[in-house]
Amino acid sequence: MKRLFLVLALLAPAACRKDAVETRRVPKEGSAAAPMSAAGGAPGGVHWKLPPGWKELAGNGMRAATFRLPQAAGKAEVSVVVLPGDVGGELANVNRWRGQLALPPVTEDGLADGRATVDSALGPIFVYDFTGGGEKKTRLCAGMARVSGTTWFFKLMGDDKAVAAAKPAFLKLLVGLTN
Amino acid sequence: MRRDDALGRAAAALGSMRLTAVCLSLLMLLVTMCTLLQVPLGTHLAVERTIRTFLIWWTPAGATIKLPVFPGGGLVGSLLLTNLLFAQFLKLERSRRKAGLWIAHLGLALLFVGEFATALFQVESQMPIEVGQTRDYSEDARLMELSVADVGDPAQDTVTTIPESLLKPGAEISDAALPFTLKIKRWYANSELGMRKPGDPPSEATAGVGADMAVRERPVLAVDDAQNAAALLVEARAGAESLGTFWASNALGAPQGFAREGRDWRLTLRPRRYYLPFSMTLKEFKHDVYPGTDIPKNFSSLVRLRDAGAGEDRDALIYMNHPLRYGGKAFYQASFGKDDRLSVFQVVRNPGWLIPYLSCALVALGMLMHFGLKLSASLRSAK
Repeated sequence: MKRLFLVLALLAPAACRKDAVETRRVPKEGSAAAPMSAAGGAPGGVHWKLPPGWKELAGNGMRAATFRLPQAAGKAEVSVVVLPGDVGGELANVNRWRGQLALPPVTEDGLADGRATVDSALGPIFVYDFTGGGEKKTRLCAGMARVSGTTWFFKLMGDDKAVAAAKPAFLKLLVGLTN
Repeated sequence: MRRDDALGRAAAALGSMRLTAVCLSLLMLLVTMCTLLQVPLGTHLAVERTIRTFLIWWTPAGATIKLPVFPGGGLVGSLLLTNLLFAQFLKLERSRRKAGLWIAHLGLALLFVGEFATALFQVESQMPIEVGQTRDYSEDARLMELSVADVGDPAQDTVTTIPESLLKPGAEISDAALPFTLKIKRWYANSELGMRKPGDPPSEATAGVGADMAVRERPVLAVDDAQNAAALLVEARAGAESLGTFWASNALGAPQGFAREGRDWRLTLRPRRYYLPFSMTLKEFKHDVYPGTDIPKNFSSLVRLRDAGAGEDRDALIYMNHPLRYGGKAFYQASFGKDDRLSVFQVVRNPGWLIPYLSCALVALGMLMHFGLKLSASLRSAK
């Protein structure tokens, strides 16, 4: 029994191990957005290949990344936002975009009329293209993809003409998305 | 010599075969319970709540108190070990003739000690790594940590990590490496995050991603393939000045932080990391199948192991049932993905990993000795 107590006495301090704050210097990590990276054991998030001339800026606020379009500097840009779950569903997001252009909301029945589908390695990406009213027309072309329990939003928004010019490259970017 | 007083009777009861039978029956029940509980709880939690505990607790619906309802694996294992030791010392003859049985029993006792050592010391984590990628840490997705990184240096970040166990509402965290304190306001082990809609109450966050988000607590998901979206509401303060209140979550990819004393700080809630003093680069992953079928034959990962401190720089092949053991850890081929571009290693640190092998060797040696002596005695008497 003495030996048993000895073993238990040696093991007891381990049961009282305390977690502590630690500081270390580590190499910088890549900037690829990687939410829920542990889900399914897969590191990294969605990867893209930028069209010629486009520039990627670091994410900030809600954005995982921003793409600057030098051809339409100040007139249009692409934002990338990733959120867990379905973020309220397709209808809620479509109406949120329409609200940004001061357009009236659509119903579930009207969703399919405005939806285009792009095939990518991530699966189908639903694409919507809306143009606001008024003298200075603002246009929004957005794609949403479900990836491992998250929703990725790619939104090209800006001046109507600039968005129209950038749309083919934007759709090509969506087709080329991988994880 | 046997004592007939209360102490003697207690010792006899502790070393009795009846107690052995009761303990073995309880263990069988525990294994059954653990197996059934794996469906709602997942493997890890089921083992933690039935096997690696001294008592199994139950909370009645609507109550806050916990009631012990069944002995756990720790208690039954301790009783069985005590039973084995008492039976050995009280009943087993101390002679050369019984040396084999003594060794076999010692092996069995060592097996129990090994399981206790595993329960106390073993740390399991995962290392997902893509072909061409280099990693010097593994992660435990069941635990979170808040990473506070000074990202001003273009080459390296200075990262202060605060483990989940310290992220309790009301806690104030300060550290010599941080020129501010962190006040923990809320902690949700699982949550639902979404964009704020008109009519939603104002966000409790004043800066970063969370200022535009609605965060709601959700029941914790325990099943094996589920990932909780943990959420932490934390305020950074420098004296009386608030540097911002942030919602951090492992489910958010966008970076967020603030500037203080000319340095940029970034807050991230992420799976708990265990840094290694060496690195591994995945050079190649192979997923072999039997010819003409999709049936897996073998999975293997060729890695480059680099440890500047130990002068190690070599290739190592990790494949099914052939882990790489290095630096006190074992790297097992556990999973794969991304069209065979991703390999996932189970990383196990278990200082007692040799104990089961040693105990099995002792049991085998003891039985060989015991039955060898019996055989030799039987052969002698037959002559």
